[in-house]
Amino acid sequence: MARCILTVDDSSTMRQMITFTLKGANFDVVEAEDGVHALEVAKGRKLDLIITDVNMPRMDGLTLVARLRALPEFKFTPILVLTTESDQSMKMRGKEAGATGWIVKPFSPEKLMDVVNKVI
Amino acid sequence: MTSWFQSTPKAEPVIEPGPSLSLPPPTAAVESNDVLQRLAAREASMLEAQVNFLTPELLQVDSLVREAAGTLEDALKTLNKSVTQQHLLAGEIQAAMHGSLQGEGEGESMGGTIMGTLDGFVHHITEISESTGLLVEQVDEIRERSERMEEMLGELTEIAGRTHLLSLNASIEAAHARQFGAGFAVVAGEVSKLADRSTALSSTIQEQIHGTRQALERTDAHMQSIASKDMDVALRSKEQAQELVQSLQITNFIVRDLVGQLEENAGKVAQQVGHVVRSLQFEDLVHQTLVACLKELGNLLDQSQAWKALEGRLAAGEPQGPALADLEAKLVEIEGARVQFRAVKSGSLAAGEVDLF
Repeated sequence: MARCILTVDDSSTMRQMITFTLKGANFDVVEAEDGVHALEVAKGRKLDLIITDVNMPRMDGLTLVARLRALPEFKFTPILVLTTESDQSMKMRGKEAGATGWIVKPFSPEKLMDVVNKVI
Repeated sequence: MTSWFQSTPKAEPVIEPGPSLSLPPPTAAVESNDVLQRLAAREASMLEAQVNFLTPELLQVDSLVREAAGTLEDALKTLNKSVTQQHLLAGEIQAAMHGSLQGEGEGESMGGTIMGTLDGFVHHITEISESTGLLVEQVDEIRERSERMEEMLGELTEIAGRTHLLSLNASIEAAHARQFGAGFAVVAGEVSKLADRSTALSSTIQEQIHGTRQALERTDAHMQSIASKDMDVALRSKEQAQELVQSLQITNFIVRDLVGQLEENAGKVAQQVGHVVRSLQFEDLVHQTLVACLKELGNLLDQSQAWKALEGRLAAGEPQGPALADLEAKLVEIEGARVQFRAVKSGSLAAGEVDLF
């Protein structure tokens, strides 16, 4: 059974590029367009990895990370932040929220797969 | 995509003229108030006009970029689907060619199997041909024996002829001897009859042997023809099969080479697809940059409203002090709401850094 990854981004282009890359490596992918939607999609689902953007409407990525970490089923699930933000202070906020790693956009498919295979 | 701002239909920018400067105030205080009022009106008007001009332009850029990205995404998916299909087809061709000339699982080539079968066939035909050759030799021997038998029968016929002549002479001599030769004449007659029968039998045997020899000669000719034809057919078949196998091997080699080139090409395309995936993210980067710009334009619009409020209050005859203080407070508030960080710092589409915590 293929492993399942949730990708969260308000940009449909980003979601499609991430999905395209992950499906090419035989992962199942589910999508959400912001933090609120991501919590709905994640509910009751077995996820092997979550990749989230930071700046999104309704609920930003760092809040999402913190909310997911508070849920027992996602306490140890790897969460990668994929964002245009590259400030060290933002990265620290991500780490404190419980993110596993930080990837600055744009991503290259090879690099993304390297990181995914490391953390999954 | 969910937008962070409310899209507004693009409208032609309207740059309103500032208030007229043609009314000179009677006193310095009134003049100062009028000048400030005009400046406020001009500032408000210019800011509003600039915002009204830039906002639809930026929204248009966002819309164009989104549409272009959508088209490129569709093209990328189609391209990727085609390359995947090509990869599968190449694999199927390779497997089919492998299966056609390679045995399944035993590592034995089909070409080798064909040649082995043909070798067995040719060996079998050669054995039959050799056996036929031996039969031809035996038939030759039988024919030679028949010829010798015919020669011997010739001698027997000659002996029978001489015996018949002798019996005739004996009969003549018996006739000369009159009554003394009567018994001898009977014997001579019997010998003559025996000689006649011997001659008749020799003739019959000779006819039979002659017929047999002719039959043997025909058999010999047939057998030689068969032996020769068998070998010719076998050798020709083997040569043709060898040519066929060689041709298949060459075709297999060419197809394998072509499939290899296809795979190499697919690898290059996959690499380029990776670049396209990275580059297509420009849509998100541009969108975030535009969102930041539009937020700042919103702040400029707020500034315009603040200046307009000042102008209204001054026009209503309110004192400058409190109106200016309110303007300053509003400007401080707007400054606080300004975008603090650049949304996208990277000036290129090179892959961003990765940090694992």
